[in-house]
Amino acid sequence: MNPIAPDKQVSRRGFFELTLGWIAAMFAACASAVGAVRFLVPNVLFEPSLVFKAGKPEDFPDGSVTFLDEERVFLVRQGNTFRCLSAICTHLGCTVNRTGQGYHCPCHGSVFDDQGGVKSGPAPRALEWFLVTLSKDSRLLVDKNQRVNSDKYLVL
Amino acid sequence: MKEFLPKRIWQWFERTRVGRSIFRVGLPQSNLERAQAMVSSFLLHVQPAKVNRHSLRASYSFGLGLISLYLFLILTFTGVLLMFYYVPSTDHAYNVMKDLQFVVSAGLIMRNMHRWAAHLMVIFVLLHMCRVFYTGAYKRPREFNWVLGVGLFLLTLGLSFTGYLLPWDQLAYWAITVGTNIAAYAPYVGPELKYVMLGGNAVGQEALIRFYALHVIVLPAIAGFMIAVHLFRVRKDGGLSRPDEPGDTVEQVELSRLPTNKTYGLMELARGTTPQVGRNPEDEVFSWPHLIFRELLLFLLVVAAVLFLAVFWNAPLEQLANPVHPPNPAKAPWYFLGLQELVSYSAFWGGVVVPGVLVAALVLLPYLDHNRKGVGRWFARERVVANTIFTVCLVIAIVLTIIGTLFRGPNWSWQEPWKKPPAVTESH
Repeated sequence: MNPIAPDKQVSRRGFFELTLGWIAAMFAACASAVGAVRFLVPNVLFEPSLVFKAGKPEDFPDGSVTFLDEERVFLVRQGNTFRCLSAICTHLGCTVNRTGQGYHCPCHGSVFDDQGGVKSGPAPRALEWFLVTLSKDSRLLVDKNQRVNSDKYLVL
Repeated sequence: MKEFLPKRIWQWFERTRVGRSIFRVGLPQSNLERAQAMVSSFLLHVQPAKVNRHSLRASYSFGLGLISLYLFLILTFTGVLLMFYYVPSTDHAYNVMKDLQFVVSAGLIMRNMHRWAAHLMVIFVLLHMCRVFYTGAYKRPREFNWVLGVGLFLLTLGLSFTGYLLPWDQLAYWAITVGTNIAAYAPYVGPELKYVMLGGNAVGQEALIRFYALHVIVLPAIAGFMIAVHLFRVRKDGGLSRPDEPGDTVEQVELSRLPTNKTYGLMELARGTTPQVGRNPEDEVFSWPHLIFRELLLFLLVVAAVLFLAVFWNAPLEQLANPVHPPNPAKAPWYFLGLQELVSYSAFWGGVVVPGVLVAALVLLPYLDHNRKGVGRWFARERVVANTIFTVCLVIAIVLTIIGTLFRGPNWSWQEPWKKPPAVTESH
Protein backbone atom coordinates (compact mmCIF):
# COMPACT_ATOMS: atom_id res chain seq x y z
CA MET A 1 0.00 0.00 0.00
CA ASN A 2 1.12 3.50 -0.75
CA PRO A 3 1.06 5.32 2.64
CA ILE A 4 0.72 8.76 1.06
CA ALA A 5 -2.25 8.20 -1.21
CA PRO A 6 -3.71 4.76 -0.55
CA ASP A 7 -6.72 5.38 -2.82
CA LYS A 8 -4.60 6.40 -5.79
CA GLN A 9 -2.58 3.21 -5.87
CA VAL A 10 -2.76 1.38 -9.18
CA SER A 11 -2.58 -2.38 -9.11
CA ARG A 12 -0.45 -4.25 -11.61
CA ARG A 13 -3.56 -5.63 -13.23
CA GLY A 14 -5.17 -2.19 -13.37
CA PHE A 15 -2.05 -0.72 -14.95
CA PHE A 16 -1.98 -3.29 -17.71
CA GLU A 17 -5.72 -3.01 -18.24
CA LEU A 18 -5.27 0.71 -18.79
CA THR A 19 -2.13 0.71 -20.89
CA LEU A 20 -2.59 -2.42 -22.94
CA GLY A 21 -6.32 -3.02 -22.89
CA TRP A 22 -7.99 0.36 -23.13
CA ILE A 23 -5.32 2.17 -25.12
CA ALA A 24 -5.16 -0.70 -27.59
CA ALA A 25 -8.95 -0.67 -27.90
CA MET A 26 -8.99 3.09 -28.48
CA PHE A 27 -6.19 2.81 -31.01
CA ALA A 28 -8.01 0.04 -32.89
CA ALA A 29 -11.25 2.04 -32.94
CA CYS A 30 -9.50 5.19 -34.20
CA ALA A 31 -7.50 3.28 -36.79
CA SER A 32 -10.68 1.60 -38.08
CA ALA A 33 -12.43 4.96 -38.33
CA VAL A 34 -9.48 6.59 -40.11
CA GLY A 35 -9.20 3.62 -42.47
CA ALA A 36 -12.90 3.73 -43.32
CA VAL A 37 -12.84 7.47 -43.99
CA ARG A 38 -9.62 7.25 -46.01
CA PHE A 39 -11.15 4.41 -48.02
CA LEU A 40 -13.88 6.79 -49.16
CA VAL A 41 -11.43 9.38 -50.50
CA PRO A 42 -10.66 8.42 -54.09
CA ASN A 43 -7.01 8.22 -55.18
CA VAL A 44 -7.67 8.25 -58.92
CA LEU A 45 -10.24 10.44 -60.66
CA PHE A 46 -11.72 9.37 -63.96
CA GLU A 47 -12.52 12.94 -64.90
CA PRO A 48 -11.51 14.87 -68.05
CA SER A 49 -8.08 16.50 -67.97
CA LEU A 50 -8.04 20.09 -66.76
CA VAL A 51 -5.61 21.01 -69.57
CA PHE A 52 -7.23 21.06 -72.99
CA LYS A 53 -6.80 22.42 -76.50
CA ALA A 54 -9.54 24.87 -77.42
CA GLY A 55 -8.81 24.98 -81.16
CA LYS A 56 -7.06 27.21 -83.64
CA PRO A 57 -6.94 30.96 -82.88
CA GLU A 58 -8.62 31.76 -86.20
CA ASP A 59 -11.65 29.63 -85.21
CA PHE A 60 -12.67 32.43 -82.88
CA PRO A 61 -13.71 35.65 -84.66
CA ASP A 62 -12.58 39.01 -83.38
CA GLY A 63 -14.76 40.32 -80.55
CA SER A 64 -16.39 36.94 -79.95
CA VAL A 65 -17.22 35.17 -76.69
CA THR A 66 -17.49 31.45 -77.42
CA PHE A 67 -18.97 28.93 -74.99
CA LEU A 68 -17.15 25.59 -74.99
CA ASP A 69 -19.74 23.00 -73.92
CA GLU A 70 -17.57 20.17 -72.73
CA GLU A 71 -15.18 22.32 -70.75
CA ARG A 72 -17.73 24.78 -69.33
CA VAL A 73 -15.61 27.85 -70.21
CA PHE A 74 -15.99 30.95 -72.38
CA LEU A 75 -13.20 31.77 -74.82
CA VAL A 76 -12.96 35.55 -75.18
CA ARG A 77 -11.19 37.13 -78.17
CA GLN A 78 -10.65 40.86 -78.47
CA GLY A 79 -8.45 41.91 -81.37
CA ASN A 80 -5.45 39.62 -81.18
CA THR A 81 -5.83 38.83 -77.49
CA PHE A 82 -7.26 35.62 -76.07
CA ARG A 83 -8.56 34.87 -72.59
CA CYS A 84 -10.54 32.03 -71.04
CA LEU A 85 -13.31 32.57 -68.45
CA SER A 86 -14.81 29.83 -66.25
CA ALA A 87 -18.56 29.33 -66.78
CA ILE A 88 -18.96 27.72 -63.35
CA CYS A 89 -20.73 30.06 -60.95
CA THR A 90 -18.66 30.64 -57.81
CA HIS A 91 -21.84 30.44 -55.71
CA LEU A 92 -23.09 26.87 -56.06
CA GLY A 93 -21.56 25.51 -59.24
CA CYS A 94 -24.24 26.06 -61.89
CA THR A 95 -23.24 26.96 -65.46
CA VAL A 96 -23.67 30.68 -66.12
CA ASN A 97 -25.30 32.00 -69.31
CA ARG A 98 -24.03 34.91 -71.38
CA THR A 99 -26.62 37.68 -71.37
CA GLY A 100 -25.90 40.96 -73.13
CA GLN A 101 -22.50 42.17 -71.98
CA GLY A 102 -22.27 40.02 -68.86
CA TYR A 103 -23.12 36.64 -67.41
CA HIS A 104 -26.14 35.41 -65.48
CA CYS A 105 -26.47 32.34 -63.27
CA PRO A 106 -29.88 30.64 -63.62
CA CYS A 107 -29.78 28.89 -60.26
CA HIS A 108 -29.70 31.73 -57.77
CA GLY A 109 -29.56 34.82 -59.93
CA SER A 110 -25.95 35.99 -59.60
CA VAL A 111 -25.02 38.59 -62.23
CA PHE A 112 -21.44 39.03 -63.46
CA ASP A 113 -20.01 41.77 -65.69
CA ASP A 114 -18.01 41.05 -68.85
CA GLN A 115 -14.81 40.84 -66.76
CA GLY A 116 -16.39 38.17 -64.55
CA GLY A 117 -16.77 40.51 -61.58
CA VAL A 118 -19.84 40.15 -59.36
CA LYS A 119 -22.44 42.84 -60.09
CA SER A 120 -25.22 41.45 -57.93
CA GLY A 121 -26.51 38.25 -56.38
CA PRO A 122 -25.11 35.81 -53.85
CA ALA A 123 -21.86 34.84 -55.65
CA PRO A 124 -18.97 35.38 -53.20
CA ARG A 125 -16.20 35.74 -55.81
CA ALA A 126 -15.67 36.75 -59.43
CA LEU A 127 -15.71 34.10 -62.14
CA GLU A 128 -12.24 32.62 -62.62
CA TRP A 129 -9.91 33.29 -65.55
CA PHE A 130 -7.66 30.48 -66.74
CA LEU A 131 -4.21 30.61 -68.29
CA VAL A 132 -4.24 30.49 -72.10
CA THR A 133 -1.06 29.62 -74.02
CA LEU A 134 -0.27 28.46 -77.54
CA SER A 135 0.64 24.82 -78.06
CA LYS A 136 3.41 23.66 -80.37
CA ASP A 137 0.87 22.83 -83.09
CA SER A 138 -0.56 26.39 -82.89
CA ARG A 139 -3.68 25.56 -80.89
CA LEU A 140 -5.00 27.56 -77.95
CA LEU A 141 -4.07 25.62 -74.82
CA VAL A 142 -6.15 26.27 -71.69
CA ASP A 143 -4.95 25.13 -68.27
CA LYS A 144 -7.81 25.11 -65.77
CA ASN A 145 -5.34 24.40 -62.96
CA GLN A 146 -3.82 27.85 -63.35
CA ARG A 147 -5.92 30.84 -62.44
CA VAL A 148 -4.86 34.26 -63.66
CA ASN A 149 -6.04 37.86 -63.30
CA SER A 150 -8.56 39.20 -65.78
CA ASP A 151 -5.91 41.48 -67.32
CA LYS A 152 -3.64 38.64 -68.40
CA TYR A 153 -3.95 37.98 -72.14
CA LEU A 154 -2.45 35.71 -74.70
CA VAL A 155 -1.36 38.11 -77.44
CA LEU A 156 -0.80 36.75 -80.92
CA MET B 1 -75.67 -18.31 -36.82
CA LYS B 2 -72.88 -19.50 -39.06
CA GLU B 3 -69.55 -17.65 -38.91
CA PHE B 4 -68.00 -16.03 -41.95
CA LEU B 5 -66.20 -18.77 -43.95
CA PRO B 6 -62.59 -17.41 -43.86
CA LYS B 7 -62.97 -17.02 -40.10
CA ARG B 8 -64.11 -20.62 -39.74
CA ILE B 9 -61.14 -21.80 -41.83
CA TRP B 10 -58.82 -19.72 -39.63
CA GLN B 11 -60.36 -21.12 -36.44
CA TRP B 12 -59.90 -24.65 -37.75
CA PHE B 13 -56.27 -23.87 -38.66
CA GLU B 14 -55.36 -22.37 -35.29
CA ARG B 15 -56.58 -25.54 -33.55
CA THR B 16 -54.34 -27.79 -35.65
CA ARG B 17 -50.92 -28.76 -34.34
CA VAL B 18 -49.16 -26.56 -36.89
CA GLY B 19 -51.40 -23.60 -36.17
CA ARG B 20 -50.90 -23.92 -32.42
CA SER B 21 -47.14 -24.08 -32.88
CA ILE B 22 -47.15 -20.77 -34.74
CA PHE B 23 -49.85 -18.83 -32.87
CA ARG B 24 -49.83 -19.87 -29.21
CA VAL B 25 -52.96 -17.82 -28.67
CA GLY B 26 -55.65 -18.01 -31.31
CA LEU B 27 -58.17 -15.31 -32.06
CA PRO B 28 -58.77 -14.02 -28.51
CA GLN B 29 -62.10 -14.87 -26.90
CA SER B 30 -61.50 -13.50 -23.40
CA ASN B 31 -59.69 -10.57 -21.82
CA LEU B 32 -56.91 -12.91 -20.69
CA GLU B 33 -56.42 -14.08 -24.27
CA ARG B 34 -56.55 -10.49 -25.53
CA ALA B 35 -53.60 -9.68 -23.31
CA GLN B 36 -51.82 -12.95 -24.19
CA ALA B 37 -52.27 -12.35 -27.92
CA MET B 38 -50.44 -9.04 -27.65
CA VAL B 39 -47.62 -10.37 -25.50
CA SER B 40 -46.99 -13.62 -27.36
CA SER B 41 -46.67 -12.20 -30.86
CA PHE B 42 -43.37 -10.79 -32.08
CA LEU B 43 -45.01 -8.07 -34.12
CA LEU B 44 -47.64 -7.17 -31.53
CA HIS B 45 -45.53 -7.26 -28.38
CA VAL B 46 -43.94 -3.96 -29.40
CA GLN B 47 -47.23 -2.53 -28.21
CA PRO B 48 -48.77 -2.69 -24.76
CA ALA B 49 -51.51 -5.17 -23.90
CA LYS B 50 -53.69 -2.30 -22.71
CA VAL B 51 -53.71 1.23 -23.96
CA ASN B 52 -54.99 4.49 -22.52
CA ARG B 53 -58.18 5.78 -24.10
CA HIS B 54 -56.61 9.18 -24.56
CA SER B 55 -53.88 7.68 -26.78
CA LEU B 56 -56.53 6.26 -29.09
CA ARG B 57 -58.18 9.60 -29.74
CA ALA B 58 -57.57 10.49 -33.39
CA SER B 59 -58.02 14.18 -32.60
CA TYR B 60 -55.02 14.05 -30.28
CA SER B 61 -52.27 12.39 -32.34
CA PHE B 62 -53.94 12.29 -35.78
CA GLY B 63 -51.91 9.10 -36.23
CA LEU B 64 -49.12 11.18 -37.78
CA GLY B 65 -46.22 9.11 -36.47
CA LEU B 66 -47.93 5.90 -37.52
CA ILE B 67 -48.59 7.32 -40.99
CA SER B 68 -44.88 8.20 -41.26
CA LEU B 69 -43.99 4.62 -40.30
CA TYR B 70 -46.40 3.20 -42.87
CA LEU B 71 -44.92 5.45 -45.55
CA PHE B 72 -41.46 4.18 -44.59
CA LEU B 73 -42.72 0.60 -45.01
CA ILE B 74 -44.29 1.41 -48.40
CA LEU B 75 -41.01 3.07 -49.46
CA THR B 76 -39.02 0.03 -48.36
CA PHE B 77 -41.30 -2.35 -50.24
CA THR B 78 -41.47 -0.37 -53.49
CA GLY B 79 -37.79 0.58 -53.17
CA VAL B 80 -36.65 -3.03 -52.97
CA LEU B 81 -38.74 -3.84 -56.05
CA LEU B 82 -37.22 -0.90 -57.95
CA MET B 83 -33.74 -2.18 -57.02
CA PHE B 84 -34.36 -5.31 -59.10
CA TYR B 85 -34.21 -3.14 -62.26
CA TYR B 86 -32.14 -0.13 -61.28
CA VAL B 87 -28.49 0.13 -62.39
CA PRO B 88 -26.43 2.86 -60.68
CA SER B 89 -24.57 3.84 -63.83
CA THR B 90 -24.68 7.15 -65.68
CA ASP B 91 -25.09 5.17 -68.92
CA HIS B 92 -28.03 3.07 -67.75
CA ALA B 93 -29.87 4.81 -64.91
CA TYR B 94 -31.98 7.09 -67.11
CA ASN B 95 -32.85 4.25 -69.50
CA VAL B 96 -34.07 2.21 -66.53
CA MET B 97 -36.45 5.06 -65.66
CA LYS B 98 -37.85 4.92 -69.20
CA ASP B 99 -38.12 1.11 -68.96
CA LEU B 100 -39.99 1.42 -65.68
CA GLN B 101 -42.36 3.88 -67.32
CA PHE B 102 -43.01 2.06 -70.55
CA VAL B 103 -41.82 -1.57 -70.43
CA VAL B 104 -41.91 -3.09 -66.94
CA SER B 105 -45.30 -4.36 -65.75
CA ALA B 106 -46.51 -2.08 -62.94
CA GLY B 107 -43.14 -0.32 -63.14
CA LEU B 108 -44.78 3.06 -63.53
CA ILE B 109 -47.01 2.47 -60.49
CA MET B 110 -44.07 1.34 -58.35
CA ARG B 111 -41.96 4.37 -59.27
CA ASN B 112 -44.91 6.73 -58.78
CA MET B 113 -45.74 5.20 -55.39
CA HIS B 114 -42.10 5.46 -54.32
CA ARG B 115 -41.89 9.11 -55.34
CA TRP B 116 -45.22 10.22 -53.84
CA ALA B 117 -44.69 8.25 -50.64
CA ALA B 118 -41.29 9.96 -50.29
CA HIS B 119 -42.86 13.41 -50.62
CA LEU B 120 -45.65 12.46 -48.22
CA MET B 121 -43.15 11.11 -45.70
CA VAL B 122 -41.35 14.46 -45.58
CA ILE B 123 -44.71 16.18 -45.01
CA PHE B 124 -45.97 13.74 -42.39
CA VAL B 125 -42.73 13.56 -40.41
CA LEU B 126 -42.85 17.37 -40.27
CA LEU B 127 -46.53 17.34 -39.24
CA HIS B 128 -45.73 14.72 -36.61
CA MET B 129 -43.03 17.00 -35.23
CA CYS B 130 -45.52 19.89 -35.14
CA ARG B 131 -48.04 17.72 -33.28
CA VAL B 132 -45.45 16.70 -30.68
CA PHE B 133 -44.43 20.33 -30.25
CA TYR B 134 -47.92 21.83 -29.95
CA THR B 135 -48.97 19.18 -27.42
CA GLY B 136 -45.78 19.67 -25.37
CA ALA B 137 -45.08 15.96 -25.71
CA TYR B 138 -41.29 16.41 -25.83
CA LYS B 139 -41.06 17.31 -22.14
CA ARG B 140 -39.71 15.06 -19.41
CA PRO B 141 -39.35 12.08 -19.62
CA ARG B 142 -39.62 12.16 -23.42
CA GLU B 143 -36.74 14.56 -24.16
CA PHE B 144 -34.47 12.01 -25.78
CA ASN B 145 -37.23 10.59 -27.96
CA TRP B 146 -37.71 14.10 -29.38
CA VAL B 147 -33.98 14.19 -30.18
CA LEU B 148 -34.30 10.81 -31.94
CA GLY B 149 -37.26 12.25 -33.82
CA VAL B 150 -35.22 15.23 -35.00
CA GLY B 151 -32.59 12.73 -36.21
CA LEU B 152 -35.26 10.77 -38.06
CA PHE B 153 -36.52 13.98 -39.70
CA LEU B 154 -33.00 14.74 -40.96
CA LEU B 155 -32.63 11.13 -42.13
CA THR B 156 -35.92 11.46 -44.02
CA LEU B 157 -34.55 14.52 -45.82
CA GLY B 158 -31.25 12.70 -46.47
CA LEU B 159 -33.03 9.66 -47.87
CA SER B 160 -35.16 11.84 -50.10
CA PHE B 161 -32.16 13.88 -51.27
CA THR B 162 -29.97 10.85 -52.09
CA GLY B 163 -32.88 9.24 -53.93
CA TYR B 164 -33.28 12.40 -55.99
CA LEU B 165 -30.04 11.82 -57.93
CA LEU B 166 -30.80 8.25 -58.95
CA PRO B 167 -33.03 8.89 -62.03
CA TRP B 168 -30.07 10.83 -63.54
CA ASP B 169 -32.25 13.43 -65.21
CA GLN B 170 -31.73 17.18 -65.33
CA LEU B 171 -33.66 17.72 -62.10
CA ALA B 172 -31.50 15.13 -60.33
CA TYR B 173 -28.17 16.34 -61.66
CA TRP B 174 -28.60 20.01 -60.83
CA ALA B 175 -30.36 19.51 -57.52
CA ILE B 176 -27.36 17.46 -56.35
CA THR B 177 -24.87 19.94 -57.82
CA VAL B 178 -26.51 22.75 -55.87
CA GLY B 179 -26.93 20.65 -52.72
CA THR B 180 -23.34 19.43 -52.53
CA ASN B 181 -22.02 22.94 -53.21
CA ILE B 182 -24.03 24.16 -50.22
CA ALA B 183 -22.24 21.49 -48.15
CA ALA B 184 -18.90 22.85 -49.42
CA TYR B 185 -19.59 26.14 -47.59
CA ALA B 186 -19.45 24.35 -44.21
CA PRO B 187 -16.57 25.71 -42.11
CA TYR B 188 -13.22 23.83 -42.10
CA VAL B 189 -14.34 20.52 -43.64
CA GLY B 190 -16.70 21.83 -46.35
CA PRO B 191 -14.63 21.28 -49.52
CA GLU B 192 -13.36 17.90 -48.28
CA LEU B 193 -16.91 16.87 -47.39
CA LYS B 194 -18.09 17.72 -50.89
CA TYR B 195 -15.14 15.82 -52.40
CA VAL B 196 -15.91 12.69 -50.37
CA MET B 197 -19.67 12.93 -51.02
CA LEU B 198 -19.13 13.19 -54.77
CA GLY B 199 -16.05 10.97 -54.95
CA GLY B 200 -14.51 13.66 -57.17
CA ASN B 201 -14.85 17.30 -58.14
CA ALA B 202 -18.16 17.17 -60.03
CA VAL B 203 -21.35 15.10 -60.01
CA GLY B 204 -20.59 12.01 -62.09
CA GLN B 205 -20.44 8.22 -61.97
CA GLU B 206 -18.65 8.19 -58.62
CA ALA B 207 -21.26 10.46 -57.05
CA LEU B 208 -24.11 8.35 -58.45
CA ILE B 209 -22.87 5.12 -56.92
CA ARG B 210 -22.14 6.81 -53.60
CA PHE B 211 -25.63 8.27 -53.41
CA TYR B 212 -27.03 4.88 -54.42
CA ALA B 213 -25.20 3.09 -51.59
CA LEU B 214 -26.35 5.73 -49.11
CA HIS B 215 -29.93 5.59 -50.41
CA VAL B 216 -30.48 1.83 -50.52
CA ILE B 217 -28.56 0.61 -47.49
CA VAL B 218 -26.72 3.08 -45.25
CA LEU B 219 -29.52 5.57 -44.55
CA PRO B 220 -32.42 3.05 -44.51
CA ALA B 221 -30.48 0.83 -42.09
CA ILE B 222 -29.80 3.76 -39.74
CA ALA B 223 -33.40 4.98 -40.10
CA GLY B 224 -34.81 1.49 -39.46
CA PHE B 225 -32.74 1.13 -36.31
CA MET B 226 -33.67 4.59 -35.08
CA ILE B 227 -37.37 3.97 -35.75
CA ALA B 228 -37.11 0.83 -33.60
CA VAL B 229 -35.50 2.79 -30.75
CA HIS B 230 -38.04 5.62 -31.23
CA LEU B 231 -40.98 3.19 -30.83
CA PHE B 232 -39.28 1.40 -27.92
CA ARG B 233 -38.87 4.72 -26.16
CA VAL B 234 -42.53 5.62 -26.68
CA ARG B 235 -43.40 2.63 -24.50
CA LYS B 236 -40.56 3.07 -22.01
CA ASP B 237 -41.51 6.73 -21.54
CA GLY B 238 -45.05 5.75 -20.61
CA GLY B 239 -46.91 5.68 -23.92
CA LEU B 240 -48.29 8.75 -25.63
CA SER B 241 -48.26 11.94 -23.59
CA ARG B 242 -51.56 12.79 -21.91
CA PRO B 243 -52.80 15.57 -19.67
CA ASP B 244 -53.74 13.55 -16.60
CA GLU B 245 -50.49 11.63 -16.46
CA PRO B 246 -49.92 10.64 -12.82
CA GLY B 247 -46.68 12.15 -11.62
CA ASP B 248 -45.22 8.90 -10.35
CA THR B 249 -45.39 7.16 -13.72
CA VAL B 250 -42.88 9.59 -15.16
CA GLU B 251 -40.32 9.27 -12.36
CA GLN B 252 -37.29 7.37 -13.49
CA VAL B 253 -35.89 4.96 -10.92
CA GLU B 254 -32.24 5.80 -10.48
CA LEU B 255 -30.51 2.46 -10.19
CA SER B 256 -27.46 4.01 -8.59
CA ARG B 257 -29.52 5.36 -5.68
CA LEU B 258 -30.94 1.97 -4.73
CA PRO B 259 -29.31 0.16 -1.82
CA THR B 260 -27.06 -2.56 -3.17
CA ASN B 261 -27.26 -4.92 -0.22
CA LYS B 262 -30.52 -6.53 -1.27
CA THR B 263 -31.85 -8.29 -4.33
CA TYR B 264 -34.56 -6.88 -6.56
CA GLY B 265 -37.33 -8.31 -8.62
CA LEU B 266 -38.20 -6.58 -11.85
CA MET B 267 -41.28 -5.02 -10.27
CA GLU B 268 -39.12 -2.85 -8.06
CA LEU B 269 -37.03 -1.56 -10.95
CA ALA B 270 -40.05 -0.38 -12.90
CA ARG B 271 -41.16 3.22 -12.56
CA GLY B 272 -43.35 4.55 -9.83
CA THR B 273 -44.75 2.80 -6.81
CA THR B 274 -45.39 -0.63 -8.19
CA PRO B 275 -47.22 -2.92 -7.85
CA GLN B 276 -50.11 -0.49 -7.70
CA VAL B 277 -52.21 -2.57 -5.39
CA GLY B 278 -55.57 -1.18 -4.46
CA ARG B 279 -55.51 1.54 -7.07
CA ASN B 280 -58.19 2.13 -9.61
CA PRO B 281 -57.06 0.98 -13.00
CA GLU B 282 -56.20 3.78 -15.38
CA ASP B 283 -58.60 4.61 -18.15
CA GLU B 284 -57.37 1.80 -20.35
CA VAL B 285 -58.83 -0.57 -22.89
CA PHE B 286 -57.38 -3.72 -24.45
CA SER B 287 -55.08 -3.09 -27.41
CA TRP B 288 -56.71 -6.04 -29.12
CA PRO B 289 -58.96 -5.04 -30.80
CA HIS B 290 -59.17 -1.30 -30.04
CA LEU B 291 -55.62 -0.31 -31.07
CA ILE B 292 -54.99 -3.05 -33.63
CA PHE B 293 -58.17 -2.29 -35.53
CA ARG B 294 -57.37 1.42 -35.75
CA GLU B 295 -53.82 0.68 -36.89
CA LEU B 296 -54.92 -1.67 -39.64
CA LEU B 297 -57.59 0.78 -40.79
CA LEU B 298 -55.02 3.58 -40.95
CA PHE B 299 -52.61 1.36 -42.88
CA LEU B 300 -55.34 0.65 -45.39
CA LEU B 301 -56.06 4.37 -45.77
CA VAL B 302 -52.38 5.26 -46.25
CA VAL B 303 -51.82 2.57 -48.89
CA ALA B 304 -55.03 3.61 -50.65
CA ALA B 305 -54.00 7.27 -50.65
CA VAL B 306 -50.52 6.54 -52.06
CA LEU B 307 -51.97 4.19 -54.66
CA PHE B 308 -54.52 6.84 -55.63
CA LEU B 309 -51.79 9.43 -56.18
CA ALA B 310 -49.66 6.92 -58.10
CA VAL B 311 -52.49 5.93 -60.43
CA PHE B 312 -53.53 9.47 -61.35
CA TRP B 313 -50.24 11.42 -61.26
CA ASN B 314 -46.91 10.39 -62.73
CA ALA B 315 -43.61 11.08 -60.97
CA PRO B 316 -41.75 13.79 -62.88
CA LEU B 317 -38.87 12.79 -65.12
CA GLU B 318 -37.01 15.49 -66.98
CA GLN B 319 -34.52 15.14 -69.81
CA LEU B 320 -31.32 13.12 -69.48
CA ALA B 321 -28.80 14.84 -67.21
CA ASN B 322 -26.74 17.40 -69.08
CA PRO B 323 -23.71 18.62 -67.10
CA VAL B 324 -23.33 21.60 -69.45
CA HIS B 325 -26.72 23.30 -69.24
CA PRO B 326 -28.58 23.75 -65.98
CA PRO B 327 -32.32 24.07 -66.48
CA ASN B 328 -33.45 27.65 -65.97
CA PRO B 329 -34.38 28.04 -63.15
CA ALA B 330 -32.50 25.13 -61.59
CA LYS B 331 -34.44 24.10 -58.50
CA ALA B 332 -33.72 21.74 -55.64
CA PRO B 333 -36.44 19.36 -54.36
CA TRP B 334 -39.40 21.36 -52.99
CA TYR B 335 -38.56 20.76 -49.32
CA PHE B 336 -35.17 22.40 -49.92
CA LEU B 337 -36.57 25.38 -51.86
CA GLY B 338 -36.92 27.46 -48.69
CA LEU B 339 -33.24 26.74 -48.16
CA GLN B 340 -32.47 27.58 -51.78
CA GLU B 341 -34.35 30.87 -51.38
CA LEU B 342 -32.15 31.66 -48.35
CA VAL B 343 -29.06 30.54 -50.26
CA SER B 344 -29.93 33.00 -53.04
CA TYR B 345 -29.24 35.79 -50.53
CA SER B 346 -26.09 34.28 -49.04
CA ALA B 347 -24.71 30.77 -49.39
CA PHE B 348 -22.91 30.79 -46.05
CA TRP B 349 -25.65 32.40 -43.92
CA GLY B 350 -28.55 30.77 -45.73
CA GLY B 351 -26.96 27.42 -46.47
CA VAL B 352 -24.95 26.75 -43.33
CA VAL B 353 -25.66 29.11 -40.43
CA VAL B 354 -29.48 29.26 -40.50
CA PRO B 355 -30.08 25.50 -40.99
CA GLY B 356 -27.30 24.72 -38.50
CA VAL B 357 -28.83 26.96 -35.83
CA LEU B 358 -32.32 25.59 -36.53
CA VAL B 359 -31.21 21.97 -36.15
CA ALA B 360 -29.24 22.78 -32.98
CA ALA B 361 -32.29 24.59 -31.56
CA LEU B 362 -34.54 21.61 -32.33
CA VAL B 363 -32.12 19.14 -30.73
CA LEU B 364 -31.64 21.25 -27.59
CA LEU B 365 -35.29 22.34 -27.31
CA PRO B 366 -36.43 19.75 -24.70
CA TYR B 367 -33.43 20.59 -22.50
CA LEU B 368 -33.86 24.37 -22.83
CA ASP B 369 -37.60 24.40 -22.14
CA HIS B 370 -37.96 24.20 -18.36
CA ASN B 371 -41.71 24.73 -18.36
CA ARG B 372 -43.23 21.43 -17.17
CA LYS B 373 -46.81 22.53 -17.76
CA GLY B 374 -49.12 22.06 -20.70
CA VAL B 375 -48.31 18.45 -21.61
CA GLY B 376 -50.89 16.43 -23.51
CA ARG B 377 -53.10 19.27 -24.70
CA TRP B 378 -53.07 21.09 -28.01
CA PHE B 379 -51.98 24.75 -27.83
CA ALA B 380 -51.95 24.83 -24.03
CA ARG B 381 -52.16 28.40 -22.70
CA GLU B 382 -49.20 27.74 -20.40
CA ARG B 383 -47.03 27.28 -23.49
CA VAL B 384 -48.01 30.40 -25.38
CA VAL B 385 -44.41 31.71 -25.67
CA ALA B 386 -42.94 28.45 -26.96
CA ASN B 387 -45.86 27.92 -29.32
CA THR B 388 -45.53 31.45 -30.70
CA ILE B 389 -41.78 31.10 -31.38
CA PHE B 390 -42.28 27.72 -33.06
CA THR B 391 -45.19 29.00 -35.16
CA VAL B 392 -43.22 32.03 -36.35
CA CYS B 393 -40.29 29.81 -37.45
CA LEU B 394 -42.68 27.39 -39.12
CA VAL B 395 -44.53 30.13 -41.01
CA ILE B 396 -41.25 31.68 -42.19
CA ALA B 397 -40.06 28.27 -43.44
CA ILE B 398 -43.37 27.67 -45.24
CA VAL B 399 -43.42 31.15 -46.81
CA LEU B 400 -39.80 30.78 -48.01
CA THR B 401 -40.63 27.36 -49.46
CA ILE B 402 -43.69 28.72 -51.27
CA ILE B 403 -41.66 31.64 -52.65
CA GLY B 404 -38.91 29.29 -53.85
CA THR B 405 -41.41 26.86 -55.36
CA LEU B 406 -43.94 29.14 -57.02
CA PHE B 407 -42.56 32.65 -57.21
CA ARG B 408 -39.13 32.06 -58.71
CA GLY B 409 -38.85 32.00 -62.47
CA PRO B 410 -35.95 31.98 -64.93
CA ASN B 411 -32.67 33.33 -63.48
CA TRP B 412 -34.30 33.02 -60.03
CA SER B 413 -36.05 36.32 -60.61
CA TRP B 414 -39.42 37.17 -59.07
CA GLN B 415 -42.21 35.62 -61.10
CA GLU B 416 -45.89 35.49 -60.20
CA PRO B 417 -47.06 31.95 -61.00
CA TRP B 418 -50.18 33.21 -62.81
CA LYS B 419 -48.14 35.25 -65.29
CA LYS B 420 -46.31 33.92 -68.33
CA PRO B 421 -42.55 33.87 -67.74
CA PRO B 422 -40.57 36.29 -69.92
CA ALA B 423 -38.51 34.88 -72.75
CA VAL B 424 -34.97 34.15 -71.59
CA THR B 425 -32.26 35.52 -73.80
CA GLU B 426 -29.24 33.29 -73.82
CA SER B 427 -26.28 33.55 -76.06
CA HIS B 428 -23.08 31.64 -75.80
